[in-house]
Amino acid sequence: MSQSMMRKFVVTNMCVVAGLTRRTSARSLATSSAKPIKEAQVLPPEREITKSVFMSQSTDIYTNLAMEDWMYRNMDFSNHHVMMVWRNEPCVVIGRHQNPWLEANVPFLGDKEIALARRNSGGGTVYHDRGNLNITFFTHRDRYDRKYNLEIIKRALYRSFGIKSLINERQDIIVRDKYKISGTAAKLSRLTAYHHCTLLVNANKADLSKALAKREHGIQTSATPSTPSPVVNLADLDNRVTVESLQTAIGYEYLRTPALHIEDAGERHISQQRGFQFVNPTEDWYPGIAELRKELTTWEWCYGRTPEFTVSRSFPVPPELLSSKLYSASQELIISMTVEKGLINDVTLNIPPGLIESGFHGEASVITHLKGKRFTSEALAALENAMLTRHLSGDVRKLDDKEQFVAKCFDQVVNTV
Amino acid sequence: MTLQRCLYQVSKQLISQRFILQSSVRQVLCKISYKYSSNTEKKFSDRHEWVLVDKENIGTVGISKYAQESLGDVVFAQLPDPGMQLNAGDECGALESVKAASEIYSPVSGTVTEKNKEVEKKPGLINSSYYDKGWLFKLKLSKPEQLNNLMNEKQYEEFLQTDVEKDHT
Repeated sequence: MSQSMMRKFVVTNMCVVAGLTRRTSARSLATSSAKPIKEAQVLPPEREITKSVFMSQSTDIYTNLAMEDWMYRNMDFSNHHVMMVWRNEPCVVIGRHQNPWLEANVPFLGDKEIALARRNSGGGTVYHDRGNLNITFFTHRDRYDRKYNLEIIKRALYRSFGIKSLINERQDIIVRDKYKISGTAAKLSRLTAYHHCTLLVNANKADLSKALAKREHGIQTSATPSTPSPVVNLADLDNRVTVESLQTAIGYEYLRTPALHIEDAGERHISQQRGFQFVNPTEDWYPGIAELRKELTTWEWCYGRTPEFTVSRSFPVPPELLSSKLYSASQELIISMTVEKGLINDVTLNIPPGLIESGFHGEASVITHLKGKRFTSEALAALENAMLTRHLSGDVRKLDDKEQFVAKCFDQVVNTV
Repeated sequence: MTLQRCLYQVSKQLISQRFILQSSVRQVLCKISYKYSSNTEKKFSDRHEWVLVDKENIGTVGISKYAQESLGDVVFAQLPDPGMQLNAGDECGALESVKAASEIYSPVSGTVTEKNKEVEKKPGLINSSYYDKGWLFKLKLSKPEQLNNLMNEKQYEEFLQTDVEKDHT
């Protein structure tokens, strides 16, 4: 009797253990070894997750990217999901593994004081200004769900403005069959994930297309390319859409939707969440954020992280620079370079015989003085200096016609659209 | 008195020497056991990286079939440079797919000896040949005993099963 009681007790006890640590027991039974195998973290059920909408008070791209990175590194999203909304002064944001010289019109950005930033997530290049609403969804890594996030945006557009949209296979939000209103990108780590996207509300489309203009570049690389698409501003579809009204609409939609599945849980659900909160991405609020921001603004990050590339372009030599009429107009100067970490590594100059015969000797100095220089006007200055030093003996400290021509070609390689 | 002290010194030396000897013997034994144990099979981490260690203690690291499937088509591979010192679990690069940029973690500690340049040129190899040509980097293991913390293929399959189950509860 007591024995059977005992057995029963043991059995129920075992059931409890098995019930509590089903995953552990399954594994240890199967492997029957004492090896410590890491457990995947058990995440709380949907009803225990609360949601917040953070509204960044900064309009500086580097600060907002640093804020994202800070949250990604320091916050635990296992029972708290966060959607951050933010906007920026004019800027171009390239993907983590992209080539800015290929994706953006770098000289134009300089003229218009448009910032260039490299983000941590993958994907293609986007343009932001005050007419864009940017949204970042933070979750635990195992609960990363891009479809869910985009669905929230889609539903908000319809509920508040009656705008019908669809999500295509590239996970872009599309209106009127083909016009893209949102690009999307994400970053995943061991514990945390975020997905962010930008929505065009009333962005300056002229600046957008100029800032992202493709140039005759001759660049060869394995860097991630962008996929250009026709775009439209939401305000052109319905003039009630403003960045503010859209932010409110998507914020409420996010709060009225349960954390793990799409369903309208109504107004009552909203009151159970943590609601809208202003966040101020400063060092006082988020210790360490200044350092993250600083890193994001460096040339080494924005340009220096560009995957290795080669650039090769050819320029017809004007006949007046050639020594004799023997050479026809087919004479070309070819400049080829490999650029590693944003710095010029290898230069090959293919100087046509006509130019050499007419007295150009700069090849060696061009090559040696360019190595290690940034792929910017800095390299052009170095080149001009190198060619000038050869004039030291004479009185004329000025580039001759042929040298000016080489410098002009070089300028076009690093600077033109 | 002096004699006593002398004796004490000698015995102390002997003991410490023996201790050192013992520990070095233990190390050698450990090494031997690593060399001839099941190191010819792939070991998996719970973050879906695999490592295969050869006789020279060089580990080749890649990502599992499951990982490449959930990533989708890899479009860019950022790999650690040779000479980089890594601890187990360190972030050491990223794989960008059409869906997201995902961190790569080293499953074991060591010094990177080589990265797969072919994969840098053709990231699609990670999808088409994840256990062979799609390897990511090699490293000289500094703590080979960490292999014991990783799963063999069978255990990893079971881990995947429970992981999938968990996602649906």
